[in-house]
Amino acid sequence: MEILRLENVTFRYPKAAASAVENINLVVESGEFVVICGESGCGKTTLLRLLKRELAPAGEKTGTVFYRGTPLEALDERTNAAQIGYVLQNPDNQIVTDKVWHELAFGLENLGVPTALIRRRVGEMASYFGIQNWFRKDTDQLSGGEKQLLNLASVMVMGPKVLILDEPTSQLDPIAASEFIATLHKLNRELGLTILLVEHRLEDVFPMADKVLVMEQGRALLYDTPGQVGRRLGELQKDHPMLLGLPSAVRLYNALASGGRHPRALSDPCPLTVKEGRDFLEKHFGGRVQESGEGLPGRMNSAASHEEAVIELDKVWFRYEKDLPDILRGLSLKVYRGETYCILGGNGTGKTTALNVISGLNKAYRGKVRIAGKLIKAYRGQSLYRENLAFLPQNPQTVFIRDKVRDDYREILDVWQVPKGQQGELVERMAEKIGVTHLLDKHPFDLSGGEQQKCALGKVLMSKPKILLLDEPTKGLDACSKHALGGLLGELKEEGMTILMVTHDVEFAAENADRCALFFDGEILSADVPELFFAENNFYTTAANRMARELWPYAVTCDQVARRCMELPEEEGL
Amino acid sequence: MKAFGNYHPAVLMVYFLSVLLVAMFVTNPVLQLSALSGGALFAMALERPGNWARDGAFYVPLFFMVAVTNPLFSHNGVTPLFFLNGNPVTLEAFVYGIAIGVMVIGVILWCKCYSRIMTSDKFLYLFGRIIPKLSLVLSMALRFIPMFKRQMHRVSRARRAMGLYAADSFTDKLKSRMSVFMAMIAWSLENAMETAASMKARGYGIKGRTNFSLFRFTARDGVLLSVCILLLGVTLVGTAMGEMAFYYYPRISHLNVTPLALFLYGAFGILSFLPFFVEIKGALIWKYYVWKM
Repeated sequence: MEILRLENVTFRYPKAAASAVENINLVVESGEFVVICGESGCGKTTLLRLLKRELAPAGEKTGTVFYRGTPLEALDERTNAAQIGYVLQNPDNQIVTDKVWHELAFGLENLGVPTALIRRRVGEMASYFGIQNWFRKDTDQLSGGEKQLLNLASVMVMGPKVLILDEPTSQLDPIAASEFIATLHKLNRELGLTILLVEHRLEDVFPMADKVLVMEQGRALLYDTPGQVGRRLGELQKDHPMLLGLPSAVRLYNALASGGRHPRALSDPCPLTVKEGRDFLEKHFGGRVQESGEGLPGRMNSAASHEEAVIELDKVWFRYEKDLPDILRGLSLKVYRGETYCILGGNGTGKTTALNVISGLNKAYRGKVRIAGKLIKAYRGQSLYRENLAFLPQNPQTVFIRDKVRDDYREILDVWQVPKGQQGELVERMAEKIGVTHLLDKHPFDLSGGEQQKCALGKVLMSKPKILLLDEPTKGLDACSKHALGGLLGELKEEGMTILMVTHDVEFAAENADRCALFFDGEILSADVPELFFAENNFYTTAANRMARELWPYAVTCDQVARRCMELPEEEGL
Repeated sequence: MKAFGNYHPAVLMVYFLSVLLVAMFVTNPVLQLSALSGGALFAMALERPGNWARDGAFYVPLFFMVAVTNPLFSHNGVTPLFFLNGNPVTLEAFVYGIAIGVMVIGVILWCKCYSRIMTSDKFLYLFGRIIPKLSLVLSMALRFIPMFKRQMHRVSRARRAMGLYAADSFTDKLKSRMSVFMAMIAWSLENAMETAASMKARGYGIKGRTNFSLFRFTARDGVLLSVCILLLGVTLVGTAMGEMAFYYYPRISHLNVTPLALFLYGAFGILSFLPFFVEIKGALIWKYYVWKM
């Protein structure tokens, strides 16, 4: 039974030259799990909002959205509010009230449901989502993952038939994100709930979907099963930017396809999961790889000169308060000039705290921190931050306080007492370097997540640092923005910048780091080049490595796996 | 141990208002002493025994301070004890000082218990019944404040790490703080858009909104409420009849000990010890269950 039907839906924002959504025709069957993907600015969010009457943007709309055969405009407001649920991106901003139980009841209160019934429905939902243990807590005390689960539960309590989610996991760490996605899968499977989900992180979600809609410049490029989409996207355009965001198995398949080799392997369906990818590799390439032929990758010996350590921590101990447990427990670390060093590790292990200590925001109570060979204590005033060290915090919004990006950049120059006359040129030069010239006169909060990240990076670079500290730089970014960020960091490295970043994103680390380190229990357990680092981890490694490790243990990125496949001769017996 | 706090917020509100009303406006020493001791015992029952000494170290000196202040400045009364700088320090002023001390400490203790028992959600629930919009606004404010504070903290750290707190002069600092604050306002408005979307998506604005709460008015709430109103009524009637009138100036009057007065003292005594009894009963029942297991 069809639950949603879009007929020739076109939408244009006021004063916009092009349509944000153009001529979309689409049928969603009841109980389907639909994943919508596309580059940022492709009209995904606009399309989702057109499906929810209360959130429909103002502008010029033609075409009709039918919900169970009735045009959306003709539905009465109660049906509309209750049966089409909508979950937004930011876990914090969606929460309205101060208590968990009140948040759960909020939607039902709005519908005017009597208290006794609210009590039952809220209780039922809290049990289903496992919220009962924090039912009476303040919403402010919850973790990000819990907050987003609460947002989902407080929509589900109204009994929706269709659930629409706009990048719900982009602000969550990978573990909380997987839990959230698993909950969605459970809702879809157990309750037959129809789900429309916009996501960047497709590794988990893509194989779960019944249908995938790929959007490009407001149009529906593809609407098909994941396997078909995985195959056809590459056929449409060999290096389609959306390919970057697809699961590693799909990327590998498409890399082979664009190389034009191994036609026999390509006649198989496109693998979607790590397991399918591993079977695919085993079937077509297994047994043809020489056991001993796998040498260590050349990048190992290059990297930076291992002579001059610019960040040096020697048995550093730190805790926030006297009675609290230690966060850093004898942390020792050396980052050499010109290298990109990546600290990986689970949530709440103290990675961010380590960055805070290195950036001088927190002081270690034992041990030594040396920046550029000088004890951090010896830096007077603001000298640590002048042409020396810069820190980009996790949330790029915290960096901006002016109405224009340009003024924010000038703020740094003002503090360093650069004459006004020279400021304009310096700002322009920086903007050009990181590719944000067209954004200089915009309000920082009007930018997309990826643009904010870039502009924030530009602002911290205004003080001409030689060491750059990054805290979760890929949080909330889509695959293309991540790729662009990776390129930018590469350029900075070329210029001699030392980069230390803390991240959850193993794929990003594998592609961009010279050395990776695992942070656990307040110290660094192992540090090595990515190829060795990930080859020695069994679980904490990239999806590409998990697929290919039986054949090529040192292949950690999709490109590396694809390259090794290409080097093999064609299969025989065609 | 919060057996008393489990009663319905309306009952609790009526209770606290009645005790505070009598404790503040009736100047009978028996009533005030029972208000003080009832409040002190209740406060102790709510506090961990480890903190009793710390609290005592605050209230006892405060009591003496209040008690001593009155005879130093008030020279009313007819029984001088001694002269200080040529001014008489009278017995009446001294006793009245002690009475004020009892009253002040009693009221503070009751207010402390009030703030422990009447948490924000209870308060909101009560006032939400009268002005539904207000209670939602208050709830949203309570949600927003910690978020705002956290973001402000993050911004100021980000600025420190950019070397932006370099300005030495006071006006520069002020300007810097001001611009951070303005940015925070912009940030809040930005976030409010999403909050508004989330509210609208969940049907806010549809007519006939109800107010849900976790509180239910049960039989035991009815019993406590009736007992409370009855005891307050008796006390007020007794006061109006002048049965408990007491004066300190010019000469300390005699305490009325007629059977009726004793009955009235008893009535208010029960009222002020009620929460303590409820707490003790709760604790005993709990001990009994544990023991039976």
